[in-house]
Amino acid sequence: MLAIISRLKIKIISYGSGRLSHGQLWLINCKKNIVTFPVFIIFFLIFSSCEKVINIDLKKAESKYVIEAYVSNEPGDCKVHITQTVNFSDPADFPGVPGAVVTMQDDNNTPVALVETGYGMYESKDINGTEDHTYSLLVKVNGQVFTSVSQMPKQVNFDSLSIVDFRSFDGNRKFANVTFDDPSGKGNAYRFLQYKNEILNKNIFVLNDDFTDGRINNSLLTYFDRTYEERIETGDSIKVEMQCVDFAVYKFFSSLSQSSTGSSDNVSPGNPVSNIQGGALGYFSAYTKQKKIVLAK
Amino acid sequence: MKQVIFSIAMALTSLVCCSQQEETMKGKINAAAKHNISGTIRNKITGESIIGATIKVLNNREAIISNEYGFFSLTLPEGNYILEISYAGLPKLIKEIHLFTNLTSDIYLDEYSKTLDEVVINNSIPGRSVSGTQMGTERLSIQEMKYIPQLFGEKDPMKAIQLLPGIKAVSEGNSGIYVRGGAADQNLILLDEAPVYNASHLLGFFSTFNPDAIKDITVYKTGMPAQYGGRLSSVVDIRMNDGNSQDYTISGGLGLISSKLNIEGPVQKDKSSFLVSGRSTYVDLFLKLSNDSIINRNKIGFYDLNAKMNFTMGKKDKLFISGYFGNDHLNAGDNFGLYWGNTTGTLRWNHIYSNKIFANSSLIYSNFNYGINLKLGANDVNIFSQIRDWNLKEELQWNPNAQHTFRIGINSIYHAIQPGNVTSSLTSSFNNVVFQKRFSSENALYFSDAWKLNNKWNLTYGTRLSGFSILGKGDFYNLDDRGKITDTIRIDEGKILKTYLNIEPRLAVSYLLTNSSSLKASYVRNTQNLHLISNSTSARPTDRWVASTNNIKPETSSQVSLGYYKNLLGIKYELTVETYFKGMQNQIDYRDGSDITDANALETQLLYGKGRAYGLEFLFRKKSGRFTGWLSYTLSKSEKKIDGINNNEWYNARQDRTHEIAIVGTYKLKKKWTLSANWVLYTGDAVSFPEGKYNIGTETFFYYTKRNGYRMPTYHRLDLAATKVLKQKKRFTSELSFSLYNAYGRENAYSITFRDKKAEPLKTEAVKTTLFRFIPSISYNFKF
Repeated sequence: MLAIISRLKIKIISYGSGRLSHGQLWLINCKKNIVTFPVFIIFFLIFSSCEKVINIDLKKAESKYVIEAYVSNEPGDCKVHITQTVNFSDPADFPGVPGAVVTMQDDNNTPVALVETGYGMYESKDINGTEDHTYSLLVKVNGQVFTSVSQMPKQVNFDSLSIVDFRSFDGNRKFANVTFDDPSGKGNAYRFLQYKNEILNKNIFVLNDDFTDGRINNSLLTYFDRTYEERIETGDSIKVEMQCVDFAVYKFFSSLSQSSTGSSDNVSPGNPVSNIQGGALGYFSAYTKQKKIVLAK
Repeated sequence: MKQVIFSIAMALTSLVCCSQQEETMKGKINAAAKHNISGTIRNKITGESIIGATIKVLNNREAIISNEYGFFSLTLPEGNYILEISYAGLPKLIKEIHLFTNLTSDIYLDEYSKTLDEVVINNSIPGRSVSGTQMGTERLSIQEMKYIPQLFGEKDPMKAIQLLPGIKAVSEGNSGIYVRGGAADQNLILLDEAPVYNASHLLGFFSTFNPDAIKDITVYKTGMPAQYGGRLSSVVDIRMNDGNSQDYTISGGLGLISSKLNIEGPVQKDKSSFLVSGRSTYVDLFLKLSNDSIINRNKIGFYDLNAKMNFTMGKKDKLFISGYFGNDHLNAGDNFGLYWGNTTGTLRWNHIYSNKIFANSSLIYSNFNYGINLKLGANDVNIFSQIRDWNLKEELQWNPNAQHTFRIGINSIYHAIQPGNVTSSLTSSFNNVVFQKRFSSENALYFSDAWKLNNKWNLTYGTRLSGFSILGKGDFYNLDDRGKITDTIRIDEGKILKTYLNIEPRLAVSYLLTNSSSLKASYVRNTQNLHLISNSTSARPTDRWVASTNNIKPETSSQVSLGYYKNLLGIKYELTVETYFKGMQNQIDYRDGSDITDANALETQLLYGKGRAYGLEFLFRKKSGRFTGWLSYTLSKSEKKIDGINNNEWYNARQDRTHEIAIVGTYKLKKKWTLSANWVLYTGDAVSFPEGKYNIGTETFFYYTKRNGYRMPTYHRLDLAATKVLKQKKRFTSELSFSLYNAYGRENAYSITFRDKKAEPLKTEAVKTTLFRFIPSISYNFKF
């Protein structure tokens, strides 16, 4: 009997959500990657499970504007990208929205108009993002008005970046470890972008200091690799950009990764919590930017 | 206070009513003296008391049912009577009594009074009482669920009841239930009266109830008797075996996933007995055997232990001590460990004041806790969470005459909830955080009367007055509309922040249309003050129990039901049709993007609204003969309306499954073999699917419009089982069972996810994941 079962090819769906999202980390959160093993016996979790592509008749939704807006403390780094949602069955090439009026205001200074530099891409070289300043965004497009406010936090120093060996339940992995000293007082939030040999890792890495307030933070940027190409191997050059973001931006990215990836068995799927008023999807982030590079050993 | 006076007044009024009734009855029917017969119905072989046995007086049509301790009391005019005593899975007993004085007598039903073959034929399952008022009740004895094929061959009582109308599985292979459109946390699951806060093992794939230790399981979908309260949807009352008081028995089973051993016997024959029943998985052993380091570094498993002792002290007193202890563990590599478990303990004392007054006192302890150990790089974190209850119950049952059965009781529970306790080493990035402990006391006073008005009408009326007090010490919050804290209220130890009082009327009436058919109607109101806050679609041990606060109001529900009951061809067949409507208030949901682990003021993350559920349930059952089984069909709707979700419009609850069908059949072949099968079909769950997509950065995300606006594909499945008796001797019996879950390998969707196509990144696709196809199992059971 057991022999029969052992011959079945069984898949384990990895569970885990990548980031240490407090207590719920790793708990049955059928995330993206599915690793196949000819396994002996691991029944109850996904016993001889299988995956199939199916057709679902999904209705067409009214299109919505998607705004990605940011300003960093790097001089002249101020961009707004406006796109629209498309139907599920349409190709995912998300055309930009031209002809919008986009302005950004640095504290109480005169608002600066952003210039359309590409299809749906608006930029300005005239805003030099500064810590502690509040930025206001105004977007007018086809009669709709969207506004948002974001405060650029004080920069927290990105102390070090290293690559750490990790004994995961499905094998050994290497992950980037970031170190920084979180200032006292809750409300600090961070976003990380990780590049392997200059290719961006698509996972969302965000952190808040709810449980780590005022301490030296050592955090692994863990994720479940969808492809072997995403794994960090010896010899890879790993670059990490650390952004100090305001809390609303943290909330946007954490809710986006929890409920909008299409693979959430974890939370009721839905739209992320946006800090843009007026009914658009997306976010406006004023953040500070620091980068470090390390070679994986 | 007003309510207290009201309910006492109601109780008094009813007492007056019944004494008048009694006098008029005396005058009319018989001037002769009345006498009482009382005692306990028992199984002759094991000495176990039998819950819910029917005692029928054949020559005057009276019928009563033994209570949860097997006790019965019947008052009749002087004379000779023939009693027929019946119970599921046991042959009927006909007993003659001469009632010229009050009698106390235990009645024994004998499993082996006839040869096996005859037993099979006469092995009728007594029906639900057509004449009694209780409706919306499903009862299964272990005997009945023994042959139902199940996943991995584990006989799980919680999964067996999912085949009955109005009770739905939370998800495939899961032991959690939704009852009549309610949520999974709205079921009061009791093991020997102790609430079990997380009734699941292995992340929901098994329930905590070891069938070897269980005597009886009763589910109340509506018309909960007044002695039960505290949850909106249902009461699942599970009673443990008392232990064989006649002889020592060892029984056990070897299964694919777990093995069991059960030892019971008399401490003093006929007077006292004990039972110890243990169960353990050995998944870990298999994982360890593997050479593959990817497998052998993970651990998962559970064990549980049931123990019970009972003592008969003289003719009037009985003492029971029972306990449950269970634990689960899950380890993934060195990085993650999770453990959780329930502990319950019950100390009960039955006292018979007179042959008409039965009293029960219980002291109950219940504990659920979980812990998480994490190690991620330099960080190690330990999280501990606990809910603990002390519970005192006192109840009197009084049968003044054949017309009335009164129950009056009080119940007082002290809850202590530790939502989370985070500890970490010095070198870790984590702070030690202790979430506020929450204290509350839940009290209830209830009474009820089951009243036989005449040959046609029966009425059960009663009320439960419940009070929930939020106790200090602790900080509580006032919130604005957007969930932001406006100010903090500090309550000192021993002080009460607030008490919620609720009256829960219970009313049920039945009308006998003919000897074999009846109509019944009921109304019940329920209150719930402990809420399981979960933002996941699958039940997890880490879901958080919270008590009502100044912001989280008690959930309430009102349910009306109407039913038709019919016995066909004697009692060979039984037909039940019930319909219901249930309204639910103060239902809880999450704000979008909320963080359940957020420290103290969880309320800032919550939204409130209402729910409604209605449906029609149909059950046709064949109860005797070689072939037994049932056909159940449910047509139902369950909706929610929460301020801040789905544009404040009504939406389908996830568990809204329009149609649900179950067919269950068992066929006994001549000597050795029993064959069984069940087939289920239901409408897919209501789920949210995306209608659009967009880009953030370079990644595709999905755009949702309506909450739960789509359906999972229709689910259906056939399971088969065959059991062969290997040996059947007086001292030793053994059986071998084979089963095949999902026999035709239907690829039912466990989840549907959306992603970019690998080959064509500009396209997106929907992917269905199927869990269980063709799961064979084998198990061996023995008893000596």
